[in-house]
Amino acid sequence: MESDLNLRLAEKKLSRRRLFGHAGQSTSLFTFGLTAPSVLCDAATLSIEQKVLVVVEMAGGNDGLNTVIPFRDELYRKARPNLAIGSDEALSVNDNLGLHPSMRGMADLLENGKLSIVQGVGYENPNRSHFESMDIWHSCQRKGEPRQSGWIGRYLESAKLGNLADPPALHLGKRQQPFALMSRDVRVPSIQSLEQFRLRAADTPGLRDAIRSLSSQSRVDASDLLGFVQASSRNAMEASERMESAGVQYKPSEAYPKTTLGRQLETVAKLIASGIDTRIYYVRIDGFDTHANQPEAHAVLLRNVSDAVGTLVRDVNAQGDGDRLLVMCFSEFGRRVAENASDGTDHGAAGPVFLAGNGVNAGVVGEHPRLDDLQNGDLKHLVDFRQVYAAILQQWMKCNVPSVLGAAFDPVAVLANL
Amino acid sequence: MNLMDVNSTWAWAAYEPSLDSPWDLDAAAHLFRRGGFGAPRQQLVKAVEHSPAEVVESLVSAEEPKTFQSDMQSLLRAAIATGNVRQLAAQWLYRMLHTPAPLREKMTLFWHGHFATSAVKVGEVRLMQTQNELLRKYALGNFPELTLEISRDPAMLLYLDSATNRKSHPNENYAREIMELFCLGEGMYTEQDVKELARCFTGWEIKRERYRFNQYQHDAGTKTVLGVAGVKSGEEAIRIVTEHPAAPRFIAQKLFRFFVMDEPEPTDELLDPLTRQLIDDQMNVGPTVRRILGSNLFFSPFARARKVRSPVELGVGFLRAFEGTTDFLHLADTMDQLGQGLYQPPSVKGWDGGRTWINSSTLLGRANLIHRMLNGSKTRFGKRPLPSYFAANGIDTVADIAENMERSLFAVPIPKPAIERLKTLEVANRDSNWVNLAVHAFCTLPEFQVA
Repeated sequence: MESDLNLRLAEKKLSRRRLFGHAGQSTSLFTFGLTAPSVLCDAATLSIEQKVLVVVEMAGGNDGLNTVIPFRDELYRKARPNLAIGSDEALSVNDNLGLHPSMRGMADLLENGKLSIVQGVGYENPNRSHFESMDIWHSCQRKGEPRQSGWIGRYLESAKLGNLADPPALHLGKRQQPFALMSRDVRVPSIQSLEQFRLRAADTPGLRDAIRSLSSQSRVDASDLLGFVQASSRNAMEASERMESAGVQYKPSEAYPKTTLGRQLETVAKLIASGIDTRIYYVRIDGFDTHANQPEAHAVLLRNVSDAVGTLVRDVNAQGDGDRLLVMCFSEFGRRVAENASDGTDHGAAGPVFLAGNGVNAGVVGEHPRLDDLQNGDLKHLVDFRQVYAAILQQWMKCNVPSVLGAAFDPVAVLANL
Repeated sequence: MNLMDVNSTWAWAAYEPSLDSPWDLDAAAHLFRRGGFGAPRQQLVKAVEHSPAEVVESLVSAEEPKTFQSDMQSLLRAAIATGNVRQLAAQWLYRMLHTPAPLREKMTLFWHGHFATSAVKVGEVRLMQTQNELLRKYALGNFPELTLEISRDPAMLLYLDSATNRKSHPNENYAREIMELFCLGEGMYTEQDVKELARCFTGWEIKRERYRFNQYQHDAGTKTVLGVAGVKSGEEAIRIVTEHPAAPRFIAQKLFRFFVMDEPEPTDELLDPLTRQLIDDQMNVGPTVRRILGSNLFFSPFARARKVRSPVELGVGFLRAFEGTTDFLHLADTMDQLGQGLYQPPSVKGWDGGRTWINSSTLLGRANLIHRMLNGSKTRFGKRPLPSYFAANGIDTVADIAENMERSLFAVPIPKPAIERLKTLEVANRDSNWVNLAVHAFCTLPEFQVA
């Protein structure tokens, strides 16, 4: 088993070298590795040793209270006469808390020491607009402060990942690119499937080369907007070539859920297995804005996330890359403690964040926000979301936190000493 | 000169052609691209025989003829009968391509992105089309009236959960978005305003796919909305929201971004004449749109090539330039992949547009869309394959193609090296379909992405 794994890693190193050989960039990469100053993020070691972060955005405002459930709390049952989930149904985490019954996948991860649940994550003066709150999570800036880049975009800048041969980060999905990935210098491609990276017309003699060189030639007098499109075109052509050569031999160790998220995470596993040097993958699942008829919709959404993430962690472990993987699942806010009259819940504040992978400090981190001490009917946050980012940046991505978050934050204890 | 230094009186005064911005084929093409979905060369040639003001007026006052409307109605009935939103989207693209009133259609698309409502949640395609008709009716009309109508529109009531807004538990979704995204902008209201406004809308329900007011679910108490005390009904509340001083500026800015440039954001001073015009016209949008499209700033170099083509502008605009038609169902699906699925915007915020249209996958997707349309069995240009269409119009060489595309489709000149490179490709592929090949290659240029 052990030697099997080593063999596979060796093969990967070889195929990577072929990839770099093809791109003619192996020398420069190694040189960079030797001379990179230590203040920079530890970004220049060989890709197969690099840590990978997969971000799962649960958009719409996940009802954290019915996700990590304080089923013994009398106030919980009172606030949720129709929506409360009892101790008999919840998947018990400890004496007082349980996961939503549809979260079998994550409950298994927890049992295997691969899931950490951070409770009560939010920020001061919570904003209940989806877009404002999501922008706050993405940019770490309040309204009125200049928002030019997202936290992941700034990480990519700070780690000098803009010059990597492969895209440093990938957004999987057809919707518009998450603001978290925005950066002045580093552009992140979006893909729906690897197929989309095949430029049609490749069969016409000379056309492909022509298109590549035409989109890459620099223009004089290009406006900012045209300059942006040009840089993006160059990026598109390059990324497409790499994608085509990557991910040919991968076979999933088990079937992924047949959902969009399941397929996206399978693509992530395929890319990780291919030895591509992408450090961050970003996926988004929408629909958590459960103002009405919440129970069924919420169960389906949570099952989807939980099963897909569970499969990803097991599969990547089976492929021999388990120690490189960390998954973070978050939402822009939780929901109001009291249910509404439509069997739903309205926009609230603090909620749980999930981290999954071999490197997590498994179990529940922090206290559940108190139900007898609310703020405008919402849960008070106990952990600032930037403390979660700080832990990931500092302990996982080995990065200088203030350069990304603008200030130092106490990392929350979600990652084991690696 | 910098945009910041532009004098706002000059900017919005009636366009006077000058050496800097002559009234020529390029200017006409710019007008038809922004005020519609582009135009074939013959239409540009005709346009420059008239004054710019006349052409703008013809765009603003154009109406769909009755025969066109009834054709559309029967096509739409068939689309609705399938229950499939893709069919509806395909019909709308067909309408954009063939309409004799392209500005109305363009504004319908504007409002669709503004009062964004998605079939993904609404479910019933008939309701989506009812909303679409409403947006078309008010496309160049009165904003407060449109806002009132959209607030009672069944698709919107379903989309933002107002249909379940009860007296005992007001649902704040619609109340928030009408202020944040539809009328005023974030920060122009308080959380208390959201709560009070939600109470005004209690009892606004749907019965048999129509709006109805349920007085038993309506909170009849008085509310204070945006500083106005004693508000009772939802109608009153909408009047207060749409008459708030932030509303005309909010709409002026969105129109500016839609018609004039993606970036940078205009200053208050530059927007001021448009804001004042909206106020003077009781928030009738048509005259302001006419003023924007007929202005010095609009035709100036400041505004040329300053917008990223949206996927719809790219697909429909390409076909319109060469009198084309295609597989509209495929086109509709591709719009979705490229980030502009009609009847299914990504969220209530609509499409951010500008740079957000562009990333690696959409750029490759845009190139592949042109390739697919050019080579699709259902695609025709003036009822012919593209090479015969070109031949009939005296377009015989790569240089001819470049000249023709540059007039109707490009907002900036095609780089000379690109033309030279494609001339060599023409020679190498003389036996195969080099016309399609050259057109495809030109459409992959970064220059093609801006309009």
